[in-house]
Amino acid sequence: MLDPGDDLTLRVDGDGIVRLTWRSALRIDSALAERAMSLVDDLNGTTERPLLVDMTGTAQLTREARMVFGRRCSASRIALVGRSEVDRVIANFFLSVGRVPVPTRFFTSESAAIDWLGGPGAD
Amino acid sequence: MPTEDDRDERLARLVDHVVELASGNLAARLAPSAASDRIDAVVVGINMLAEELEWLSHDLGARVAERTRQLELAHRQLERLALYDPLTGLANRTLLADRIARAVTRAERGATPPAVLLLDLDGFKSVNDSYGHAAGDRLLVEMAQRLRAVVRDEDTVARLGGDEFAVVLCHATDDQALEVADRIMAALTKPVTVGDATCWVRASIGVRLADRGQPPDTLLRDADTAMYAAKASGGGGVQLYRPAMHTAVLSRVRVAEELRTALADAQLALHYQPIVDLGTGRPVGAEALVRWQHPIRGLLGPQEFIAVAEDAGLMVELGRWVLETAIAQLARWRTRGAVAADFTMHVNVSPLEFRSPRFAATVLGCLARHGVAASDVLLEVTESHLMGEDPQTLHAMESLRAAGVGLAIDDFGTGYSSIGYLRRLVVDTVKIDRSLVTGLDADPQQQRITAAILGVVAAFGLTCVAEGVETLADAERIAALGCPYGQGSRWGDPEPAEVIEGRWSARLT
Repeated sequence: MLDPGDDLTLRVDGDGIVRLTWRSALRIDSALAERAMSLVDDLNGTTERPLLVDMTGTAQLTREARMVFGRRCSASRIALVGRSEVDRVIANFFLSVGRVPVPTRFFTSESAAIDWLGGPGAD
Repeated sequence: MPTEDDRDERLARLVDHVVELASGNLAARLAPSAASDRIDAVVVGINMLAEELEWLSHDLGARVAERTRQLELAHRQLERLALYDPLTGLANRTLLADRIARAVTRAERGATPPAVLLLDLDGFKSVNDSYGHAAGDRLLVEMAQRLRAVVRDEDTVARLGGDEFAVVLCHATDDQALEVADRIMAALTKPVTVGDATCWVRASIGVRLADRGQPPDTLLRDADTAMYAAKASGGGGVQLYRPAMHTAVLSRVRVAEELRTALADAQLALHYQPIVDLGTGRPVGAEALVRWQHPIRGLLGPQEFIAVAEDAGLMVELGRWVLETAIAQLARWRTRGAVAADFTMHVNVSPLEFRSPRFAATVLGCLARHGVAASDVLLEVTESHLMGEDPQTLHAMESLRAAGVGLAIDDFGTGYSSIGYLRRLVVDTVKIDRSLVTGLDADPQQQRITAAILGVVAAFGLTCVAEGVETLADAERIAALGCPYGQGSRWGDPEPAEVIEGRWSARLT
């Protein structure tokens, strides 16, 4: 199993949601993106689980990283959680300009995100 | 907490950044502050948009470059197709003409003039007929390679189609041109292996040395004329163009025209030469030979016009006339009781006629119309003309034999027949060439050879007629060797029907 290192933390919570939290002020490039995807797949194994990504304070998401995140992985749905306007711009670039493989939305409220991940319409 | 002044300054920097991007520097980036406020959101958004634009621009550039590369490749391929022969990779007629024109232009400016060589392969048709077109193609490719190896890099080798090639020596003295022609001859006469067969071809080469001031198409035409002359003198040689040759070609065209008229105006006639039983001297047949009563040049023999007839596509028509006339004559002789029951009429047939559609049906139709039996007629084909195993010819021969028409190989002993080849043919008679018949008395070696050939013919169960028998001694010798029939001046030259009929009547009374 890959070592998450300092850049992110990863766990499955009590509701079966995978929680991925990025370190603040991070420049997420394709290498980091690949590592994150592999970690999530290793964690999930053959199960698909909803994924909550805390991307608060991310400094930059490169184009190559967006391409990587556009690939199908073991996440059934993805909620991106951020707080600032910068977070909103970055998240929407990912949602609109790239291709998203599964239902993905941006939230500024974690509880709203959790509701959406587990609510009706979720697998 | 960012102050008003901070915000103004940051906005000013943002404006500068947008200007920078607009100037074309899509790699420029502006760092956001730690505040992560709206201005930072704009900064980050602009950074991401610039990144996207940069990528798109790069991607577009790469696609355009690739498309340009593909277009250039396609253009080169089209050019190749337009200027080069697809089978051999040699230049085609278009490129050849261009190269000649350039060389002529250079010569006009003072350079040594070019020379044009035109050649075609004698015997190529036999290879195609015997081994198939794939083998013929391989032969052409091999010939092309040999030609290229003989000339300099700056010279051009072209294929004009079929088995015809041309070489342009972009600058050459007379000696150089002839030397190249000789080297080409040497290179081409080496045998070619095609599959598991070995073939030999020869080339007839026409050479046109350029003088300054000659238009390019004249050079090619004259080289062609010279090549034609090389073919006419037996093939397998080099001929240098001379202006007199041009006249000869024109004269061939004239002869062809006159021949067309001759066919229409009944200027042609058949003369007959008897074939006799060597034991009894009794006439057993006659060979019909065509003559042309030319209004100006007098009586012409076949050697004066048959070649022209073949080239001008008149052979089938001429052949049909000969067949019709000879069979009609035989019918008249039969009606008048002028000939014996076993008498056969020999008619020469060109290979072109055998290859013409429905030849067998034409012959049988003609026989039926005149009420002549199939076995009363024998068709003669020259040995050397039968070299290929053209399926159409073989089929026609088989049909005719099946109907009872006789078939003979003429001038036997002059060609390259193998025994296996004889076995496959459907002839029943062999006419021994005069070269095997004359002077038998004096030459014991010749006797042995002729005897051996007669033995082979007999072994195949074929009948034999000795041609060109001139003296009594010849006749006795060949009869002693077992040949049953003879033809030649010993018993009369070819003569009109009434004359020969007169002789026969005189003989009987």
